[in-house]
Amino acid sequence: MLDSKPMKSTHDSSGAAPTLVDGGAGYQLPVFPFVTPPELAGERSRRYPVVIVGGGLVGLTLACDLATRGVAAVVLDEDDTVGVRGASSRGMCYAQKSLEVFDRLGIYERLLEKGVKWSVGRTLSEGDELYAFDAQLDCVSAQAPFLNLQQFYVEWFLVDRIAELGLTDLRWKSRVTGAVRHDSHVVLQIETPEGAYSIEADWVIDATGANSPLRDYFGMQINPERGTDRWCICDVRFSKQLPAERWTWVAAPFNEGRAVWQHPMADGVWRLDYQMAPDCDPQRVSHPDVAHERVSAHLGKDVEFEMVWIGPWHYRNQMLEHFRLGRVLFIGDAAHAMSPFGARGGNSGIQDADNLGWKLALVVNANASGSLLDSYCSERRAAASENIAVTKRTARFLAPQSEAERLLRDAVLSLACHYPFARALVNTGRLSVPNRYPAVTGIDGAGESLQNVPVKTPHRHTTLARYSLEQGTRLLALYFPLSPTDATADHLRAHQHKWPLLRFAVCAPGADLDDGGALSEPPGTLVLVRPDLYTAGRLQAPTVKTLEHMVATSLTQSLESSS
Amino acid sequence: MKTQLTIPDADGFYAALIDLHQGLESAESAALNARLLFLLANQVGDQDVLLACLRAARDPLSQH
Repeated sequence: MLDSKPMKSTHDSSGAAPTLVDGGAGYQLPVFPFVTPPELAGERSRRYPVVIVGGGLVGLTLACDLATRGVAAVVLDEDDTVGVRGASSRGMCYAQKSLEVFDRLGIYERLLEKGVKWSVGRTLSEGDELYAFDAQLDCVSAQAPFLNLQQFYVEWFLVDRIAELGLTDLRWKSRVTGAVRHDSHVVLQIETPEGAYSIEADWVIDATGANSPLRDYFGMQINPERGTDRWCICDVRFSKQLPAERWTWVAAPFNEGRAVWQHPMADGVWRLDYQMAPDCDPQRVSHPDVAHERVSAHLGKDVEFEMVWIGPWHYRNQMLEHFRLGRVLFIGDAAHAMSPFGARGGNSGIQDADNLGWKLALVVNANASGSLLDSYCSERRAAASENIAVTKRTARFLAPQSEAERLLRDAVLSLACHYPFARALVNTGRLSVPNRYPAVTGIDGAGESLQNVPVKTPHRHTTLARYSLEQGTRLLALYFPLSPTDATADHLRAHQHKWPLLRFAVCAPGADLDDGGALSEPPGTLVLVRPDLYTAGRLQAPTVKTLEHMVATSLTQSLESSS
Repeated sequence: MKTQLTIPDADGFYAALIDLHQGLESAESAALNARLLFLLANQVGDQDVLLACLRAARDPLSQH
């Protein structure tokens, strides 16, 4: 169960080895030591290019991404371990785009080894199967459609990888207690076990989660919408053999006709999540005896199980009006929070980090102006808005708000047993996908996420994401030739010096890159690919002029709909 | 949204519809109507027309 790789010793605090402690319920968790920062060791304080506040899933993803791009960040975390109280009920379902990001960051193999990959989902009502899907069917990615893993393991692997990369200054037990914005920088007040200090940062990233204190320091308003829907997680370990699939019930007979989720996780633990009566008492529904009886009704009286975690929960929807405030950027739950239906919380946070990482790297290294960061806001705010709308629809299906709504919902369920069209209306969560980004003026084919397809260079096998990273933080112009004698790419390449932030690759068997046709681009197409594998645009019969325009636009991003 | 008659035998359809509800309790009738609604909506299959029908059903004077 304990599978932490030995950590490389480096000069900074991120290299300090954790001690392992009993996290309860059979989990062992790392505890990271507090290391005296230079500011408290009598050194003169300096200004840091990037300070990330919050070492959770999203903050660590961003820190790791920046490190792979050669950008050193300081990460401040108030705790000294991964997860929130370790085994607690956090995210556990990682969608393909997140897994593709983790491939580029270098932790996918570890996730695969530890987690449970799956592609089949089944929805049941009463005792009948309403429908099933297999997400593997349209998949050309090198990564699985989904992988389930307790969030603290993902955070742990990120911490290890960050230490391996050796650039990031990860400061545990460091709570930010105040922040002041200036035109040229931000000052943060930090409290530690050895005293308080302050640091200056060019850019501050708020990754402190849904209850962000930074929003308060900066006087930013966020208006939560809360409902009456109540749930209770019971993570349990048992020996009964069940398929590694996502099962959802809309109206489970063993849960008083309410919804139930059943997901496998690592270490033989299953996440069983039960919808409770509206506005029920969280104390009562999470009482161990009550929870035990519920799980027993679900698994069968004869099944032995061990309760790992019981956590009652409810959700809220909230989103910041602006994801950027001068030199402060808000990512993950600090920027937007929603119900977890469809696993859009953690996965959208990872996508925030993926969107911001390369842009911040370009800005910090003076390869792009700060205005590029506005595109982070418009793109990820549009995504958050869509994710909130999508998850609200699921919530409304699972918890009808009136008799009329319940009548319509039940009509869908009864039709779904017999008619395929009605199955599409059964909404137990629309699983996280890479959101399409708003259209860009005068550019065709921008804003679409490409799958991380396996590719072959003349020398080796890799993936598109890793290949992209190896080019530095640059745009990738993939050209799909009309024929083996098509000289378009050579012609464009002769102008390479105009575009220091661009790399060309001819995509064909035996050429720079061979996608084996997985990208399905028609011959004669040039696709401009951003470091987050989103398209910056497509050109048919590209010319120097049209490419020039597209490159310039994608690095300044004049968006049609900006927030 | 079509506002002129397209049902070949309108009286016959109406008669069939009320026959369908014969002997049902109010709740059963409401559930039947809900199922019928989804079946018919899928026959229409045009988002704009469907949304126009929703508006018209809520407010018969709605001119969409």
